[in-house]
Amino acid sequence: MLALYHWEPNLYFLKPLIALAEKGAQFESHYFDPLQFEQFAAEFPANAESQLQLEFEGPVLVHDGAIISSSFFMLEYIAEALPGPSLLPRDACARYRMRAFGQSGALLLGAAVATLGCARYLGPALRGRANGALQSRIAAIEPTERRARWQSLLEDSQETSVAAALGRLKRPLERIEAALSASPWLAGVDYSIADIDAFALLSPLPTLAPELVNATVTPNITAFLMRMHGRPAVRAALARSRTGRPAEAFIPGAEASRWG
Amino acid sequence: MLTLYHWEPNANSGKPMLALAEKGVPYQSEYLDLLKMDQHRPEYLRVNPDGTIPALVHGDLVLTESTPMMEYIDEAFDGPPLRPSDPRERWRMRWWMRFFDSYFGPSLSMIGWSVFVGPAARERDPAELRAAIERIPLESRRVAWRKAVFNEFSEEELTESRRRVRFAIAALERHLSQHRFICGDAYSLGDTSGFNIAYGLPLMQPEHCGDEVTPHIMEWLRTIYERPATRATWSKGRTQMVQRVALLERPNSH
Repeated sequence: MLALYHWEPNLYFLKPLIALAEKGAQFESHYFDPLQFEQFAAEFPANAESQLQLEFEGPVLVHDGAIISSSFFMLEYIAEALPGPSLLPRDACARYRMRAFGQSGALLLGAAVATLGCARYLGPALRGRANGALQSRIAAIEPTERRARWQSLLEDSQETSVAAALGRLKRPLERIEAALSASPWLAGVDYSIADIDAFALLSPLPTLAPELVNATVTPNITAFLMRMHGRPAVRAALARSRTGRPAEAFIPGAEASRWG
Repeated sequence: MLTLYHWEPNANSGKPMLALAEKGVPYQSEYLDLLKMDQHRPEYLRVNPDGTIPALVHGDLVLTESTPMMEYIDEAFDGPPLRPSDPRERWRMRWWMRFFDSYFGPSLSMIGWSVFVGPAARERDPAELRAAIERIPLESRRVAWRKAVFNEFSEEELTESRRRVRFAIAALERHLSQHRFICGDAYSLGDTSGFNIAYGLPLMQPEHCGDEVTPHIMEWLRTIYERPATRATWSKGRTQMVQRVALLERPNSH
């Protein structure tokens, strides 16, 4: 049995939706609303690792009882465990690049994009409905780091975090732009989960950081995003939106490095 | 031709050193003294322009991210497999390696830098030190070095790091109370990674990590330290910092 617990097809949630569609996998879709904190409900699948949530919030895949969280490692799991087209590059050198991009996607790019998206969409929405019940609900979130992310959105307009996030984006964007100028796909000649990962993290940026991602400054990223939009699996994943505005669906993402 | 640029068998440098030793892969060792900031010198920046260690050079390929580097070592060379064959266990291995890299490690290393790297670096001439810091290519690393060298960690930051270290120790102890290694019964890169982060805990954090409070972590550390590859790798250490590993000798092993 394969089941995916997900929200709107954006950022972390978009990744497994694309990968499962690329694999042609049949799965039960459990759509949940993280803004109603349904991910904390007793019946929501959880284990020690998913509760620690290195990305704080995100999709959960349940496969024959195994609970898989953390979106890039979920992509590696889907690539390795499910039949269908290979989503891994053929040689070890390209697989190294795939994993290095996955790591930078999680620690640098994903953290920055989630900060920008939350500041624009989630923060104002939360502050607009702030009341005692919401504050108590957020105050009950465990562990501490996960709670702190929600609390800061409730209390602060995030100007400092946004400026820092824009600064942190430059380097990973330069790397991705350079890689895509050298080969059609991020890890080399083969399409892989590195492309799925990067697409999910990059696609909000033409809106959230138009000065950093546009056809003039990042022509290769722009062409890559268009190429990805043409893939049937990407279209199928995006078609799972219920709100019609998946690009505005943000919840707190991985924490930026606390030092160096 | 395989060359590894590394510092001590500790944290990020120790990960590929130990993985190569476990695989039985010979390599050319290029030792860089992190405390002398050898990794920011022009001759090394030609290898890795980011000025971070370790770096593994295999033919034309230069690898600079230590965790993906370990998976590369396992895939590219013969020798005993260091990753489980079951995709679920591989997922668990990767999850824990990220937990060590992004949660446990940075908090522990902030404490380590404030008590070890910073004071050691401050023995140099201040003007020379400032110039050396300005040469660091990555802004994030410049900030880290400034904080460590000039002791600019705030009490709030250090308190949060200490809290995270305690939290991570408890999570690891719980996990190891149910599994002999990070992935069940077999040694994997998850253990290679974890040992590099945790081997100094009994000395650094004796009130939180030791035979009384974390017996499973202690057994896991000793079991890993008994492996010939671990002994061979840690015997290459040159500083007192890595000699802390001696604490893992079993009392009756002599």
